[in-house]
Amino acid sequence: MFGIRTWRALRRRGVMGINQRNGDYVLAYNDRRLYPLVDDKIRTKKLALDAGIQVPDMYGIIDTEQGISKLQHIVETHGDFVIKPAQGAGGDGIMVISDRFEGYYRGASGRMISPEELEFHISGIISGIYSLGGHRDRALIEYRVRSTDLFDRISIGGVPDVRIIVLKGYPVAAMLRLPTRQSDGKANLHQGAIGVGVDIATGVTLSGTWHNLKIDRHPDTAHPVAGVQIPDWEACLELAARCYELTGLGYLGVDLVMDKHKGPLMLELNARPGLNIQIANDDGLLRRCRIVEDHLDGLDWKLEPVARRLTLAKREFAVARLPEAPEAP
Amino acid sequence: MRSVKLHARLLAAFLLLLGVGSIAYQILVQKVPLTESESDPVWVVDAQVSFQARENTPIKARMYVPPLESGFTALNESFISNNYGVNVNRENGNRVVTWSARRAEGRQNLYYRLMLTSRFAEPASVPEDGPQFRAAPPLEGPERLAADALLAPIRQHSADVETFVSETIKRVNNMESDNVRLLLAGDRSPENRARVVDLLLAVAHIPAEPVHTLELNESRDQQPELWLRTYNGKSWLYFNPLDGRQGLPDDRLVWWSGDKPLLALEGARNADVDFGVHRNEMSALQLAQSLRFQDQSSFIDYSLYELPVPSQQLFRILMMIPVGVLLVLLIRSLVGMETLGTFTPVLIALAFRETEVIWGVLLFTFITAIGLSVRGYLEHLKLQLLARLSIVLTFVVILMALISLVGYKLGLSTGLSVALFPMVILTMVIERISIVWEERGGTQSLKVAIGTLIAAVLCHLLMVWQPLVYFVFTFPGVLLVLAAVMVLMGHYRGYRLAELMRFRAMTDEGGR
Repeated sequence: MFGIRTWRALRRRGVMGINQRNGDYVLAYNDRRLYPLVDDKIRTKKLALDAGIQVPDMYGIIDTEQGISKLQHIVETHGDFVIKPAQGAGGDGIMVISDRFEGYYRGASGRMISPEELEFHISGIISGIYSLGGHRDRALIEYRVRSTDLFDRISIGGVPDVRIIVLKGYPVAAMLRLPTRQSDGKANLHQGAIGVGVDIATGVTLSGTWHNLKIDRHPDTAHPVAGVQIPDWEACLELAARCYELTGLGYLGVDLVMDKHKGPLMLELNARPGLNIQIANDDGLLRRCRIVEDHLDGLDWKLEPVARRLTLAKREFAVARLPEAPEAP
Repeated sequence: MRSVKLHARLLAAFLLLLGVGSIAYQILVQKVPLTESESDPVWVVDAQVSFQARENTPIKARMYVPPLESGFTALNESFISNNYGVNVNRENGNRVVTWSARRAEGRQNLYYRLMLTSRFAEPASVPEDGPQFRAAPPLEGPERLAADALLAPIRQHSADVETFVSETIKRVNNMESDNVRLLLAGDRSPENRARVVDLLLAVAHIPAEPVHTLELNESRDQQPELWLRTYNGKSWLYFNPLDGRQGLPDDRLVWWSGDKPLLALEGARNADVDFGVHRNEMSALQLAQSLRFQDQSSFIDYSLYELPVPSQQLFRILMMIPVGVLLVLLIRSLVGMETLGTFTPVLIALAFRETEVIWGVLLFTFITAIGLSVRGYLEHLKLQLLARLSIVLTFVVILMALISLVGYKLGLSTGLSVALFPMVILTMVIERISIVWEERGGTQSLKVAIGTLIAAVLCHLLMVWQPLVYFVFTFPGVLLVLAAVMVLMGHYRGYRLAELMRFRAMTDEGGR
């Protein structure tokens, strides 16, 4: 029967299902008390700043309806910025302003946005439409990340980010998330962005996934997504691994962006990272997590220094045959 | 983690055992019917006593009636007689009814009616231990000789009381034998044969007692059949004195024991007793309820059936909620369909009870669609979230009122006389779908809405399925079993069906 064959094939490849992720990883390694640290981007940011982890600069916070008028003042000195709900999930409610023109703002896609529209958006954020459970929320205004030119040919309209899954401080899987026209500049897979697997050892991209399918080329630019070297990969891995000590969450999704000037910045953390990273890497998360867990069993679950954790991850999760880099333009 | 898993398994096993145990106890010991429609035969036995009253004499009619603890449950017993005093008392293990009147004229009819069933019956309580020895009656002359001649081979061919009695009956029914003929003295009636058997047993010092029985079988003019019973030291043995059959069939009711006639009359003549038996069907549940009215213990005690009827109706619904919740749980963790929370589909299913499922689905779809379009329109006005939701909900209520009104005018009142409860639930659902729409976009909210609707319809169908409702209501242990399944589901780590599709690209057949 189709179902049982697929089931066995997935088990054989060590693919993790939602039930397993929730029960054996999120529930087992992530203490519920620690969730607020990652659910609120403002708290995460402050935590990271204290620990010396690079994050996008914060320009200001708006937490009341009256405070919306402060917006003008906050962004006075900045030509471009990003507005985010502090407790938003899945990249919803994020508005990117890339430029200003005659008192209007220009969105990431080039659409003109009136100040009223912007204020309405912030008011929506504060009243909690983007927050989990609809609680009141705060709007965060921060530095707009400038994408490196490296990804220009395989991303459209937004900033690609790197998602690294970290188990007990060991990076187990990584994925480059590329915005598409459909995702409207956002790098979230459920909104139509594509995910491209990344070799942990080298930071070279592998094949990709789009809407649960395996793909080789970006749907908008038709360029192959494989074989791209992510810059500062070593720094990315180290930054991700340190997020375990930062939060205490044992099963964590770390989202990084590559800024043209500032290098890798930690964007946000996720206590229940999605599972599509498996399709992107064409490898089961469960298989990789078990390797780390077996390794930790051998150590009696003692914490190793970051460098040794990275060594293990690079050794165990290296991809045997890397794709060739696409020919230069 | 491992010890927690073991703990959960033990808890599940404990709950399962407790639940199954209580169900088994109710079925096997309390004999609670498994389905609502399970019915039992109820035997209505009528005895009609008629006689001619003598003028100016007090009348007293004494008749044996069956003991109530006869292996059957007596549902109802009535003595119908005009102008007669009725008195029931016990006499040597029998029950006797005495009808009495100062005077009466002409033909008199008295009725006795007994309703019996075999469900919920205690095993027959037989008169305690019987005698095991009796003195031989004085017999003289040829009768003595005949008895001895018959008894000698019987003794030879038998091993114990049981075989002795069978052998005796066989011999007495052998009319070829001169000895038998002598003892019967030309009277071959069953009573006389029984008397002879009894006589022979008495000579052999074996105590025996005639019992008069009635067969529970649709019949009129049935006459009591004579059986003999004897005590062998451990239990009573019943014999049919005509053919030596042993053991009283289950459908025979002992009416009275002893030599005395059924009816004893004073001040009357031409007495006649007519027995009629007929069979009724009664559902086991009704049976139990009617037993309760007689203050007899039945499974109804300590069950939800003891509640007042309105509360029972409520609990019939409430008890089904865990069933619905389990279904949603399975739909979500096994199938992977998305629904609005766990409880919402169950609530919608409850609302469908009042709107009927087809109307419910139409109403749900229609009102949600309208509600969401109002929401979409309001989005252009740049209203705040709370204000927007309030307006949507207000319009939903107006819409429901309009639908009800139009439905009523068109004569569709039954389907659309929407009660408060479904209104509230629908409004709540629209609010939640709107939030999903705000948070995750239209496609996602459509997916969730359809998932919720499907789950709600399935829940509804399951929750109004009468055999299941009866089962859960009657055997509340089912809920413990459900809880056990839920505990186990909490540790389910397998794939969801939807994930088999989702990760299909990672298998050989799905990959390119």
